Amino acid sequence: MAEKIKLFVNGVEVEVEAKKNLIDAISAVGIEIPHLCYHPALGADGNCRMCLVGIEDGRPPLVPACKTPAREGMKVLLDAEHIKKIQHDVMELELINHPIDCPVCDQAGECKLQDYYMSYDQKESRMTVPQVTKGKKLDFGSGVIHDQERCVVCGRCVRFCRQITKTGELGAINRSDDTRINIFPGRPLNNRYALNVVDLCPVGAMTSSDFRFKQRVWFLKKAPGICHGCAKGCNITIDHNRQKYEDDIIYRFRPLLNKQVNGYFICDEGRLSYKQENDGRLIEARLSTQPRSIDEILTASTKEIDRAEKIVISLSPNCSLEQMITIKALSEKLGATLTGYSEGYIKQDDGDDFLIQDDKSANRAGLQLLEIDNSRDTFTGAIREADLLINFNNNLLLSFAEKEISKLLKGTKVITVTSHDTPFTTMADMAIPVASFSEYAGTVVNSDNILQSFGKAITKNIDLDDISGIAARLGSPLQTPGERFAALQQIISALNGFEPDNIPAEGLKLKESEAANVTA
Amino acid sequence: MSATVKTIERKGSSLREKLYLIEIAKGMATTFGHLFRNLKDNRKLYVRHYPEVQPEIPARWRGRQRLTTHEDGTVKCVACFMCQTNCPANCIMIEAGERLDGKAEKMPVKFNIDLLECIYCGYCVEACPLDAIRMDTGIFSVTDNNRDSFVLGLKELLATPGAYSEEEYKKGGA
Repeated sequence: MAEKIKLFVNGVEVEVEAKKNLIDAISAVGIEIPHLCYHPALGADGNCRMCLVGIEDGRPPLVPACKTPAREGMKVLLDAEHIKKIQHDVMELELINHPIDCPVCDQAGECKLQDYYMSYDQKESRMTVPQVTKGKKLDFGSGVIHDQERCVVCGRCVRFCRQITKTGELGAINRSDDTRINIFPGRPLNNRYALNVVDLCPVGAMTSSDFRFKQRVWFLKKAPGICHGCAKGCNITIDHNRQKYEDDIIYRFRPLLNKQVNGYFICDEGRLSYKQENDGRLIEARLSTQPRSIDEILTASTKEIDRAEKIVISLSPNCSLEQMITIKALSEKLGATLTGYSEGYIKQDDGDDFLIQDDKSANRAGLQLLEIDNSRDTFTGAIREADLLINFNNNLLLSFAEKEISKLLKGTKVITVTSHDTPFTTMADMAIPVASFSEYAGTVVNSDNILQSFGKAITKNIDLDDISGIAARLGSPLQTPGERFAALQQIISALNGFEPDNIPAEGLKLKESEAANVTA
Repeated sequence: MSATVKTIERKGSSLREKLYLIEIAKGMATTFGHLFRNLKDNRKLYVRHYPEVQPEIPARWRGRQRLTTHEDGTVKCVACFMCQTNCPANCIMIEAGERLDGKAEKMPVKFNIDLLECIYCGYCVEACPLDAIRMDTGIFSVTDNNRDSFVLGLKELLATPGAYSEEEYKKGGA
């Protein structure tokens, strides 16, 4: 537990964590100090002056809360008239040249200027001179669109590019009311985390060209999730909405704070991977290329399984632990060879030392934890002798060339259980559609051996079963979620004492002994 | 203010009324009286000769919606979704897109109103920050024989002109 100290806010005693600045310390107990430029990941800059508070101990009448560490016995003044006046004056200053184009601004609804205007200002503008006009709809590259008029020059984006990505593409140029954020001529934003400036921007100055005008944010429903774009397992907020007469669609992924995994940010590739959840999905069961009902294909598959002599089951490294253990139980019952071979999911030298990993699958550590073989030799050896391959969402075309895999699969029946309609799906004799990761609940282990659970975020109009459900219907002994979790608890001791819904939000760090098990 | 109580005599208790055939005959006499009088000369009818004679619709009547335009005929709406947000019947469905003529940044590429679901409450008009949607077409009766034609698109909404002059509309309290 962090050290606690006691201080006074408006004369009321509160207990807060020590070694934090006033904004963070006091906001943890639910008292907000308005701020625009301060962000916990970027540190205090002190340029917006919105967080000025009074400290009753003889120091200057106003101090910025972002630069003031919380101390024992401190008397913080927030609701005095002179503090309210300062907040109002700062808001008036910020709004002098603000275009107030909220009706066409994507930030409306999650905009700090809007919120603070309602909380601290609510006055008409006193300006009679024309506003300063600046550049609008500037393409900063990497999908970031900048509106200089809306900008409050808090410098969060500039600091992000300097401190976090260390690429420094952005800068503030000119002075006073002519200050604007800009890129250097001909050198647009060029880093793989650039879209984070859209989240960082407290106002609508930075917008994403991908999300631009797609939805008003107050329509979006927010659900927590885990990005399945790479092995890092970044925490995300899935913003989705079901429009009238339409399906439940994801509109964007945003980073969700998890200090143990990804901090405040996610990479652009992961952020835009929401598109794969909406598009290219398989929604009908198929016999070769003919659409059939799922029940029909499942019955046919069971017959194939009974008939087959040597079965190979392959699974995707994106499957959740629950799905993996259900498939493992199925393969043990059928006496099949189980393989998680998926070399094609690894992009050599693509990762960096921040968030992006080489491995583009979400749960390879889970494969190793459950001791599922993933060598190429096992896969090719077993597939040559097999007469049936049941493939659980493993896109083999990533690991093999098309000619190679069709040669390997000659004479082998292929049943593929898949969320996406890939070229490999069309190669299969039977295809069964399943839910993708935003549509089921499960647990995954990331590249740092942190086990994280996620819930079901999206309910599509056609609510497909997930892979464990299909594996259970194909005869896996683990029929219910409870049985699956109990089976996992026997293998992963860290899960003992937990239920699927009370695994801590920041994840469970698996012990070294279990990590050792991974490498074994 | 004290309430005044007026006791109404209950009818139908006398023997003549209880026989009620006499009362029916009296009632029928009135009905047939009207029938024959109107057959002879219907100018004295107490009701409007609808649909030959249309009612007079005041400017503040909430009729079918329309989208207003700038003077050059381009759409005023900037697709801020205020009307859709405010609509209690959820009958407005907008899709926004980039606007390139310099009038605004954003415009609707789709603007559908499902008139079968619309309850003509006028909240969309009240919510609009740009006076881009109005219910001043004077159209009070929308009829058709299939459901799809009740969903108005951007084109239909822009094509209908307002039925009143600007002064009349403003006087109506808008």
